[in-house]
Amino acid sequence: MFIYTLHHLLENSAEKHPQSIAFRYLSEQISYQELNEKSDQIAHQLRLLNIKKGDRVGIYMPRCLHTVISVYGILKAGAAYVPLDPFSPISRTAFVVNDCNLEVVLTTKKQTKKIEKIALESPVLKSIVGIEESSTLQNVSWESVFKLSTDNFESENVLDDDIAYILYTSGSTGTPKGIVHTHRSGLQFVKLTTSLYNISNTDVIAMHAPLHFDPSTLGIFSAIYAGSTTVIVSDAETKMPKSLATLISDKKITIWFSVPLALIQLLRNGLVTKENGDSLRWVLFSGEVFITKYLKEVMQIWTQAKFSNIYGPTELNQCTYYNLETPPVNNDPIPIGYVWDNSEFKIIDANDKEVASGNIGELVVRSSTMMKGYWNNKQLTQKSFFIQEVVPGIPQVFYRTGDQVKLNDKGELLYLGRNDRQVKIRGYRIEIDEVENTINNHPNVVEAAVIVVQTNNENSLVAFVVAQNKSNLNSSELISFSKKHLPIYAVPNEVIILDDFPRTSSGKISRKQLKSTLISD
Amino acid sequence: MINTIINYIADNLINEPLDDDLEPEDDLLGSGIVDSMGMMRLIAFIENEYDLKVAPDEMVIENFMTVENIVEYITTKNKQQ
Repeated sequence: MFIYTLHHLLENSAEKHPQSIAFRYLSEQISYQELNEKSDQIAHQLRLLNIKKGDRVGIYMPRCLHTVISVYGILKAGAAYVPLDPFSPISRTAFVVNDCNLEVVLTTKKQTKKIEKIALESPVLKSIVGIEESSTLQNVSWESVFKLSTDNFESENVLDDDIAYILYTSGSTGTPKGIVHTHRSGLQFVKLTTSLYNISNTDVIAMHAPLHFDPSTLGIFSAIYAGSTTVIVSDAETKMPKSLATLISDKKITIWFSVPLALIQLLRNGLVTKENGDSLRWVLFSGEVFITKYLKEVMQIWTQAKFSNIYGPTELNQCTYYNLETPPVNNDPIPIGYVWDNSEFKIIDANDKEVASGNIGELVVRSSTMMKGYWNNKQLTQKSFFIQEVVPGIPQVFYRTGDQVKLNDKGELLYLGRNDRQVKIRGYRIEIDEVENTINNHPNVVEAAVIVVQTNNENSLVAFVVAQNKSNLNSSELISFSKKHLPIYAVPNEVIILDDFPRTSSGKISRKQLKSTLISD
Repeated sequence: MINTIINYIADNLINEPLDDDLEPEDDLLGSGIVDSMGMMRLIAFIENEYDLKVAPDEMVIENFMTVENIVEYITTKNKQQ
């Protein structure tokens, strides 16, 4: 069959090897055939709820098999899926529901109370699939969805240029922004990863990332294309190192993909062992820099596996890779490597001119895996693109990564940091401005400044706040306020209340001086 | 012991205010009540408070899923010492 949408991947593989296991989660599993049938039933249900081609549908659940059935069901209905982080504050989730106009959300019974609260702030929300009773919302149970007939069911006429999914990430204005990917950009990622890592139907892929985090697309889509099995790592397993180590050996994982921190936690507890890494063929990592000394240690134990440093903002899916077969010889940071196939890059200066070879500049990338733009934000979309015209009216579009890079003498790209105020904490992307703007919204805050501090090679946030006179504002009040509006990884570790900020001669807050007060303590 | 652990979690580790009070049988790991950094802090707290060392092999879901499980783990561990 001619494959040009993401759900074609499943339809094709279900025909070729219906009985193979597509996904495992704890002791549950689902075959390709069953996944194909159940996702048809979801698509059918979505049509009954009046979902049409081009609509968006939310997925609000912790990791489980229902997440992936829902992804394919939504795509087959011609809609785009929007993952909602089940552990995000209600107000932030409600913002996303309103921002991309989700009339239907798929969820699980345990989320009933939370979804009712979201609905209070989201008048657009009409129906919920997956809960059994609600006094306020129209609802359909999973049981009744999986009784629907799918005779004569046909997928929508979806083109590869249509929207497949929207992933929300930290935005500097104080509200999240939606990164829009099409079936084409998703499918190109699938084809490139499958060929780069030679994924086949004998592979077992560990999906450590949650659905709202873009590395999940390897387990959801590339694995299905290759006919392999994806193991969905449970939320509980991600938190208990020994359980995670056991999963790697018991499930005979051949391709591991996570943020470096997950592996570092195993390493620190002595849980990276020859035995548990026995079946590993590839260890892929992305999201932040893997400190070389730890990477070396892991590679010295899991000697039979190849390692790949994957780089790429969600806007590009993946775009560069650096593969290692033997541990690095010294402790220098490892390169982000080379752009992959069907992609090109430039390194530009502040005036958008290409820098001389070997000089530092911003990385801009043109790739088949690039997003369409930001949802409902034309201005930001335009700002994020670097456009070069072949002739007037025929543009070539590059994405401005905001990352500072340079080429070394081997022609490999080296990552040197950000040129703005974006940071990574535990692999999650955070705009410092979003954190500051959120705290500034507290009625008793005059001004806030957030800085990044490094302890044990890990980033954390400290907020300095000047409060209104006599407001008695304290730091625990501001921490709980932040928890109400920000995802947990973006909540400052510490809030320090000051009478006033140290300032530079031009009157700006001196972040340098703030930072030095912490170090001298 | 149950209350000490519940209070520590409620005061230091909870992401978002809960609807009801934290119960000993609530799922800490699967529900998002505590995140992965929070679990590491909770383990450090328990080691300190009850003067024991959680071995890497004991960092499993069965020992830490609920406050009930944690108390059971600490009690068994203390008997062994």
